[in-house]
Amino acid sequence: MDAKHPAAQPAGHAAAYPAKRPQEISIQGFRISTQKLPILKADPIEEMTKSLGITPPEMIFGDNYVMIEHEKSGWGINFNSFDALDRVDKTGQSMLQVAYSKEWQKSREKTHEGIKEIVKPFDWSYSTDYQGTLSPKAQPFTETDKPIPVELLMRPDPILFFDEVVLYEDELADNGIAMLSCKIRVMPGRLLLLTRFFMRLDNVLIRLRDTRVYVDFETREVIREYQSKESEYEKVRQTLASTRDDVPALMRDANKLSEVLPVVERRCERVVLDN
Amino acid sequence: MPGLPTSIDLDECIERLYRKELLAEPVIEAVCAKAKELLMKESNVVHIKAPVTVVGDIHGQFFDLLEIFRIGGFCPDTNYLFLGDYVDRGLFSVETISLLVCLKLRYPHRVHLIRGNHESRGVTQSYGFYTECARKYGNANVWHYFTDMFDYLTLSVVINDEIFCVHGGLSPSIHSLDQIKIIDRFREIPHEGPMADLVWSDPDAERDEFSLSPRGAGYTFGAQVVRKFLEVNSMSHILRAHQLCNEGYQILFDDRLSTVWSAPNYCYRCGNLASVLEVSDNMERFFNIFDAAPENDVHRNEQQAQQNRDSQPVIDYFL
Repeated sequence: MDAKHPAAQPAGHAAAYPAKRPQEISIQGFRISTQKLPILKADPIEEMTKSLGITPPEMIFGDNYVMIEHEKSGWGINFNSFDALDRVDKTGQSMLQVAYSKEWQKSREKTHEGIKEIVKPFDWSYSTDYQGTLSPKAQPFTETDKPIPVELLMRPDPILFFDEVVLYEDELADNGIAMLSCKIRVMPGRLLLLTRFFMRLDNVLIRLRDTRVYVDFETREVIREYQSKESEYEKVRQTLASTRDDVPALMRDANKLSEVLPVVERRCERVVLDN
Repeated sequence: MPGLPTSIDLDECIERLYRKELLAEPVIEAVCAKAKELLMKESNVVHIKAPVTVVGDIHGQFFDLLEIFRIGGFCPDTNYLFLGDYVDRGLFSVETISLLVCLKLRYPHRVHLIRGNHESRGVTQSYGFYTECARKYGNANVWHYFTDMFDYLTLSVVINDEIFCVHGGLSPSIHSLDQIKIIDRFREIPHEGPMADLVWSDPDAERDEFSLSPRGAGYTFGAQVVRKFLEVNSMSHILRAHQLCNEGYQILFDDRLSTVWSAPNYCYRCGNLASVLEVSDNMERFFNIFDAAPENDVHRNEQQAQQNRDSQPVIDYFL
């Protein structure tokens, strides 16, 4: 800003935000921490744009994270927006197009033939198969058939620590939603983390990619499960239409959609940490 | 066309809305009908005089709209120009648009409303306004009244022949204001063409010309486009909304364009600042920056239930 427009101070009420410093819990040799801060400001966004090589999503919670560390073995995994976005396709090879794209292209052909260039094509749906960032010293995972023990997670054990952290979100220019968020709950004997990428491109596609991390504190066993689900928008809409519920509301509800979407990829890995 | 029924007192409606009370369905019907009559007479390019306070996206964040009036002054003491996107996303789209339409009717020369891309039937069905109308009134009638009225909102405003104001940005089909004036705007926002571009397009500071969005529809416009448009139309600045700015505003292209964003802590979880742009009678521009209104905290539970992503998340046994 120049001198004519001096930078103003907020006139309203400071610190009304849901901003929170790291919060953490230590349990049986594991340390779990989360941080939630406001979306990034213009300068850090510019830095991120440069190092990622793509325009970051509209709402970028670049300071947020969820981290699980095992102190003795040096194993650790964290979930952050930069590493998640670094796995988005930057070539434009898997680029989707909005529902009315063909119609739009056709109508513009006559008038604006000069404008042909797409600036830096990339997967603007911000689809990522991110499964977390492992610490440099982490023991590697190996493939397994052993699923996460759901029955143990269904017990009403007390929840000692719970948080939900959004890493990024984009409204796809009002053509739907793309969102990556992380939930974690810690019980006395175990924890479950769910990182979910949810993308709905209106009238085109619905995509869900879930990464679950399960830790048993006693046995130090870690299981990581990745599951990708997707389907054409119209197919899902038709399935839900038979439920007689508010279909537009269901189409915004990732949990409901998860129940009806077919699985396209699934893999499971485990590691038992050294003591 | 009939005027307002004699039983409807605009001042009383405005008082009620300041208290966040809903207006009855027949009152909304009458208010929207009257608003259409008024808006129909406005050109696609409305010329107004400074001083005026310009407001960007509000998105149903009603408490933050009240905060704007507390900070910037109430109507009619302060003149207001709203750049669109009154509804969707937030919890109180109905209260927000009801109040703005009543203020427009009560003070037609001191309040101006531009159409945003969310003032459309298509978009409001996916992003909350339709669902909110149906929930608060038990049927979709009110949504029909409002969205029919949206078809009459103007597309642009010029302040003192110098500042061009629009919701989104420029269009490759538009070089002069006269080309905006001939658009047939009394319709749903189309997917393509100059009317769509005005409410949808975004600036791109790294480019000179128009470019295609990677999404397969829509344009971004660069520095040369802005310079040429201002030169051809003998103006000095473009003022628009449409894009979230974490600091509440953003100035681009050597102070030739600014974005004003007026929804603080957007969607009750972004933690961003917001601003209104005060244009003084000698055309100086001042961004008055503000935070989320304290009343938002009162409704935190409701917001959580809807958004489920607030700072105090609802603990659940997710699997």
